[in-house]
Amino acid sequence: MIKFNKIKKIYHMGTQSLEALSGVSLQIAAGEFVTVMGPSGSGKSTLMNIIGCLDTPTDGEYFLEGKNVAGLTFDQLASIRNKMMGFVFQNFNLLPYATAWENIELPMLFNGKNARNRKERITELLNEVGLLKWKEHRPSELSGGQQQRIALARALANDPPIILADAPTGNLDSKSGVEIIELLSRLWKKGHTIIMVTHDDRLASHSQRIIHLFDGREAD
Amino acid sequence: MITIFFRNLVRDLMRQPLRTILTLSGVIWGTFSVILLIAFGESVGKAQTKRFHGMGYGIVLMFPSQTTLPYKGFQKGKPIRITPEQVEDIPDKVSDIEIISPEFVRSCRMRYERREFLNTVRGINPPFELMRNIIPAKGRFINPLDMKEKRRVCLIGDVLATDLFSTSDPMGKSIFIEGVPFTVIGIMAKKLQNSNYNGNRDERCAFMPWTTYSALYGDKYVSNIIFRPLDFNRSAEVTQGIKNHLSKLIGFDPQDPDAIFVWDTLEMEKSFQTFFIAFNIFLGVIGSFTLLVGGVGVASIMMVVVEERGREIGVKLAVGARRRTILFQFFIESLTIMLIGGLVGFAFSGAVVRLVQTMPEAVTQFVGTPQISPLVAVSSISILLLIGTVSGFIPARNAASTNPITALRK
Repeated sequence: MIKFNKIKKIYHMGTQSLEALSGVSLQIAAGEFVTVMGPSGSGKSTLMNIIGCLDTPTDGEYFLEGKNVAGLTFDQLASIRNKMMGFVFQNFNLLPYATAWENIELPMLFNGKNARNRKERITELLNEVGLLKWKEHRPSELSGGQQQRIALARALANDPPIILADAPTGNLDSKSGVEIIELLSRLWKKGHTIIMVTHDDRLASHSQRIIHLFDGREAD
Repeated sequence: MITIFFRNLVRDLMRQPLRTILTLSGVIWGTFSVILLIAFGESVGKAQTKRFHGMGYGIVLMFPSQTTLPYKGFQKGKPIRITPEQVEDIPDKVSDIEIISPEFVRSCRMRYERREFLNTVRGINPPFELMRNIIPAKGRFINPLDMKEKRRVCLIGDVLATDLFSTSDPMGKSIFIEGVPFTVIGIMAKKLQNSNYNGNRDERCAFMPWTTYSALYGDKYVSNIIFRPLDFNRSAEVTQGIKNHLSKLIGFDPQDPDAIFVWDTLEMEKSFQTFFIAFNIFLGVIGSFTLLVGGVGVASIMMVVVEERGREIGVKLAVGARRRTILFQFFIESLTIMLIGGLVGFAFSGAVVRLVQTMPEAVTQFVGTPQISPLVAVSSISILLLIGTVSGFIPARNAASTNPITALRK
């Protein structure tokens, strides 16, 4: 499903350049649950951004379902993110002025789903994360765990095959963290490909495979 | 989808009501200025042109003077003398004249019962009425029969009528001009007149047939000639044609600049109109600058908004918004502020215009009656849209070029 061939990412900051990824090659099959681990600055987030098509590699090839992603325009990548990727962030990144309902609705607005389908889907997702009662609440009125569950529901809105979770439990207490991991595991069992970044070995143990990054490379 | 878009738009605008209102006020004030400046510029121009037409419309005045060049043995300084018969004969000799009249002018004492005033008498012929816009409010103007029979009849200016008769009706009454009785056959309608020559303005004049005038006072030579060319654009050529004709008749150099002094109101009106066009453009530009300041206000506030909502933009991009969706969102938001401001500004200026329209004539005779004419509406709407588009596009483009990765990390 995902195939990296010697992916490099170099950031230029003024006169200095920083090599965030220096030739990573990896493969993730459809339906895998993979954890990416490594110290900070090892390139985990960059790797996630490139997988999620939020960022493009400086060098190397990235095949998504056999298709080379390099050379696609920003809007084509936007369409891939919309249909194939579900993002879950450490800091939730919910829209503060929108209700839980509206937050979940957001990805569907960008692919033109009609109102009835949207309504059905949002209800279904809210049920799945157990927050239907909270649909009219704004993020500030929800606990961290609830917010992350809303964020997860948003990630699932267009039923994407890949879920990218960048330290999804980083800002949560352990009980809420476990709930999120259980939700992710459930999704994995339903067939989603899960790629998660974490520092927590216990959480990593839920996954099938762990990729260790160190200084922009895969550690052996 | 559209409903969601507009619901979000309203929510985004209402999020910081004070800030939105302050931003709006800049646009309101700018629109208000643009519209009022253009509307008043237009109406002042019209009012002044109307007042200018008070003296006459499409006329050229020729005042016989003295030669300043020697001609065929005559020394310079020869006075030019033209008889009224020669004047009335001109259209047969010079083409392209619509109407022409000789004019005699003198000051006379005019009396009715115990009221007496020193005012101007003008001896003229019937076409003078049209050239000088002397419209009878009551009665009639001098007619050809009056001319032929040298009748002692006169049409008097409205102010003169009030001076002499106060509230009673002057029609058919006799007034004494230098002791000679004249029957009042007409009273001039009130008019605005901002230009004049020789003597009082028309409101204080008595107009009589020049035949009567010249028989009574013995004047042989006219004070001036007044004519209207057929083609207003060719007034200068026609004037020169008359000069050429008269130079042969009377004996002066046709190129003599001062033998006959010419006041071509058509030339004057052209420069008058050019001036008012320039004046209106100038006012429009000033107004646009004011609106531009409002637009800059919108643009800078929107830049702040884009900065503040970086995370929101990042999230939207991450979940699949295209750049132009973001561009559109912020562009419409700025444009909405501009349009709401423009609408309110329009309403305010409409109210002011309405107010001025109801003001007494003492005010409106100078500023005219401003109105939101198609010209005013079209020019202010296009200025508004132009500035709105520019000040909406810059922050919107900024928003659309947000890097989602850095925006999400904030």
